[in-house]
Amino acid sequence: MIRTGTRYRMLALFVAPALVVYVAFAVYPLLSSVGMSFFDSGGGESTFVGFGNYVELFTNPTTSERFWNALVNNVEFFLIHLLVELPIGLLIAALLTSGRLRRSVGVYRTLLFIPATLSVVIVGFLWRLIINPLWGIVEFPLLGTEATALPTISLMSVWQYLGIPMVFLYTALLAIPDDVVEASRIDGAGAWTIFWRIKFPLIAPQFGLITILTYIWTFNGFDIVYALNGSAPGPNYSTDILGTFFYRSFFGSSGQVADLDLGATVASVIFAIILVTTAAYFWVLQRRLKTYEL
Amino acid sequence: MRSRLAPLATLAVAALGLGLAGCAAGGSGDGDTTKIVLGTWRTEDAAMWENDIIPAFEKSHPGITVEYAPVDTNDYNAAIQSQIEGGTGPDVIMCRPFDVNRSWIEQGYFDSLAELDAISTFPESALAAWEGDDGTPYCVPVASVLAGFYYNTAIFDELGLEVPTTQAEFLDVLDAVKEDGTYTPLALGSADGWQLAYNMLYQVGPNAWHGEDGRLGLIDGTKKLTDPDFVEGFRVFDSFKDYLPKGYESISYEDMTQLFTLGQAAILPDGSWQISQVTSTGLDVGVFGAPPAAAGDQRYQQEMADMAFGLNAAGKQKEAATEFLEWLGTPEFQQLYVNKLPGFFSMGSEPVSYDNPLAQEFADLKEGAELTSRLALDRLSAGQPPLDDEIWRVAQLMYNSGLSPEEATAELQKGLDSWYTPAG
Repeated sequence: MIRTGTRYRMLALFVAPALVVYVAFAVYPLLSSVGMSFFDSGGGESTFVGFGNYVELFTNPTTSERFWNALVNNVEFFLIHLLVELPIGLLIAALLTSGRLRRSVGVYRTLLFIPATLSVVIVGFLWRLIINPLWGIVEFPLLGTEATALPTISLMSVWQYLGIPMVFLYTALLAIPDDVVEASRIDGAGAWTIFWRIKFPLIAPQFGLITILTYIWTFNGFDIVYALNGSAPGPNYSTDILGTFFYRSFFGSSGQVADLDLGATVASVIFAIILVTTAAYFWVLQRRLKTYEL
Repeated sequence: MRSRLAPLATLAVAALGLGLAGCAAGGSGDGDTTKIVLGTWRTEDAAMWENDIIPAFEKSHPGITVEYAPVDTNDYNAAIQSQIEGGTGPDVIMCRPFDVNRSWIEQGYFDSLAELDAISTFPESALAAWEGDDGTPYCVPVASVLAGFYYNTAIFDELGLEVPTTQAEFLDVLDAVKEDGTYTPLALGSADGWQLAYNMLYQVGPNAWHGEDGRLGLIDGTKKLTDPDFVEGFRVFDSFKDYLPKGYESISYEDMTQLFTLGQAAILPDGSWQISQVTSTGLDVGVFGAPPAAAGDQRYQQEMADMAFGLNAAGKQKEAATEFLEWLGTPEFQQLYVNKLPGFFSMGSEPVSYDNPLAQEFADLKEGAELTSRLALDRLSAGQPPLDDEIWRVAQLMYNSGLSPEEATAELQKGLDSWYTPAG
């Protein structure tokens, strides 16, 4: 039996490397960015302005309009992932574990996961060519009208990342013991009933987790929009999401001078949006999902 | 264990120390040569400078050696600022045009170049992008880029078309191509707002708003975007939207260049930096500038200041650096530079000859034309909303959603009025 003091010292020793890296590269930059949002650093010196930058962000007609526009677009971006990517991911995971595919499971699993390993730049480029009105398969300018641009980009992203919820739910479904399924089949349950009454409740916690992860990923989203439409994503900012809005504020774009304070403020607001929702989810919902001992 | 590592560590430290000492020794040179460092963002031109331009300078200026020290363009501003604040800036600094340079001048990064002979070899319009508020020059202009309309000479011959000399003729040419139906009249898409603004509006508009007159008028507040001249400029821009390829709303900059280089479009509005690209498939390409409204009217040509060099006020080799800056004003340098880099143009008053025929044709567009800069990059974009970004947006709306020139200019002026106070 090791003495408690030694145990704690060893514990600290093992945790320290990861903790140091995490604090240095995640916690510190985050806090310093939040700190930066309370200062006005124009003209070479910074002065403390309290919530001044936040007031500016929400009251300046231009920045507040762009911010709300980006937020609404981001919600749409998330909802499309939620309503398309997760159900299809669940369906494919269910098909993969249904036993109907026999030995080709591995092939399908690999093929469906491959897009997730591609660079977004490649995915954006491929899809842009496929739907190009000049040499692609549709004549309609999907990326060129305000109504269709964001759904189009969202679906490209769904196509790319379908493999993530699929693999996530697939492993959860694999973990369900065969005897539970077999018992229900003997009791006379059909495939539909077995899936919704037996299997799905067992993977509900994982389904909840992938939902909240999708939320976090889409609200931190940036790359696919930037790869396709740059930092002032048109037409008429219809594909602007919080990530690109932040980028434009912090780093500037061709016609916009970089404003570090405003950028830090936007980053802090995005952080708050994600934090509040994620925390609410874990406190309110995830605790109520039953986990069954099997 | 400790004892076994100790000699190794000592050795490593000693080696490092020796290495550093070696660097220091190498850096200080042998007394009678002076080394100056050029800070630039043109990483892609490093080979050209090191193999051609710097040797030419060193040959005519024995005793001075030049080191080309490029920083990636996205990090350049931050790098120069932190280097100068830390007292280690390069002797000669490449200057960004307009707002960034103005803030550098205010921070005292540069020495005034009013006394430099090279400055007098440039017209005032070339110096404007890098002047202080009082008109003092701080940088020697090196290169600019131009905008023009590339045209496929084979298509023009086939359809019996002539290069247009008035705006009305221009539309006639486009109508003729459209009627024939074989080719797309204008290779232009609206997916990229920046290029609608830079290659179209800022190219055809200056003929209506009288180039620098209009641009400087906006800056000093004597003119508004809602003035008839500006509305007319936006109307001319709008009149091209009937000649675009199908699905132009999602055709990007790369697509339109490709459409033209594949020989499927007659005319491509683009910048001079694309010279090598548009001729890469062996097309015979010519170029013309935006024609004025009526024959005999003054023609305006967009020339965008791109690069210049300034003298670091805290530099230690000012004498050698000044000699280098003087050399930048000589025809020897300009001739060498623009021919190594087709698509970039000398800004000096002395004409320079270009080996690349298309580059020469481009340079000839400057003859007889008043030069003007891109409309909104100077001062008008240093607040929220930045005018330049707003122009990208409304230019897209005009082509995609039928926003009228009157609505567009009214919206832009409203955005500008919300934050901008005229400089003069």
